[in-house]
Formats: sequence, C-alpha cells, structure tokens
Amino acid sequence: MAASGVAAPTRAEVLQLYRSLLRVARQFCDYNVREYTKRRTIDAFRDKKNLTDPSQLFAAFSDGKAQLEVAKRQAIVYSLYAPKVKSIMDIKPS
Amino acid sequence: MALRSAVLRYIRVPVQTLTATESKPQPQWSLRASLRLFSSHDVHLTKEEVIDRVLDVVKSFPKVDPSQVTPNVHFQKDLGLDSLDNVEIVMALEEEFKLEIPDKEADKIDACNLAIEYIYNHPMAG
Repeated sequence: MAASGVAAPTRAEVLQLYRSLLRVARQFCDYNVREYTKRRTIDAFRDKKNLTDPSQLFAAFSDGKAQLEVAKRQAIVYSLYAPKVKSIMDIKPS
Repeated sequence: MALRSAVLRYIRVPVQTLTATESKPQPQWSLRASLRLFSSHDVHLTKEEVIDRVLDVVKSFPKVDPSQVTPNVHFQKDLGLDSLDNVEIVMALEEEFKLEIPDKEADKIDACNLAIEYIYNHPMAG
C-alpha cells in the first residue's frame, strides 16, 4: 500500500506534543488524573518511539493531538468542580 | 522611577577596552545582581543552592545512575538518556524551581551545566 501524501511529524513536533501533554497534565487539580495523564503520555510515547512508517507516525501524532485537546478541556471542567479536600498525596509533610 | 534612572546614570560602569598594546589592570567593578535598586525580589538563589537542587532533581530521575551525576554531565551523551527523557528532566526542573521555561529555551537544555546556568540567570527562580 503506497503511503499517501500525509506528512509525518518532525522530531521537533513530536517533542513539542510530548511537552504540551506533560504541561496540561500539571493543570489538573485531581492528583489521580494528573498522575494518570503523565504516566499514559510517557508510556504511549515510549511504545511508539521506534515507528518508522510515515502513515503510522501520522496516525499516532494526530491521535496524540486529539488527546491533547481532550485533556485541555477536561482540565478546565475538573477545575470547575474541584473537590475542597485535597488528596493526601498532595499534602507535603511539614 | 526618575530617581532610579538618575541614580543609575550617576553610577557609570567603566568600559574595559584592552587593546593588544595597552594592558592596564583596571579595577573590576560591575553592576551585578548584588546592586539592584528598588528591587522587591531580593531573595536570589546562590549558585551553590542551584547546583545542589539541580543535581538532586537529576539524581532522583529513575533512569539515572546517581553516582554518574556531576555538574557537567550531558544528559544524552553521558547518562544515556534519550530526548523524551530530556523533556521529562526539564519539566522536573521547572517544577522544582517553579519556573515556566519556554519551548525554545527548553530544547537547548541538554546538560547539567546549561540547566544550572539558565536557572541561575532566571530572575524568577524560587
């Protein structure tokens, strides 16, 4: 199957997407969701680190961009209904 | 504001122009971060503190061997990390020092000494 004219993302774009996803993870007020977002980003990018096929790279990259949009929206929604009691993991030992 | 600029104009830094022929040893006097008039942000980190905290962050990264970490170590060449790990380390440094490092600057931070320099020169490092 010949690769169609989709442009595979450049290395810089991939790293920028990685950084954006990690930054949006920090915006979550819920500890669990924040840690999940970080873990999931790191795992997904490591899994797909060695892809070479341009169409696969493009598919993974657009998937990542879609997830970034979802995460940005969800960070806002979560902050609207933030619980008053912080998770125990967020409380620094004094 | 006017007073500040008036005082700054009064204190002139002697410009050092040493040509090949003359080599007068001039007294070193520079308006460094030690003289910051009307600055509300006077608590600036010492270089020692910056180095210690940066090394701590790098050592606590799970893929790093702590015994290899020195202030000059290069993340990818000496510690065997890849570019994704590089991004993670820069994010961890951002969290430690409560900074927001723009992407273009963050891409350049490849080694411990670059990180230390950047953070030490950042006015908002905390």
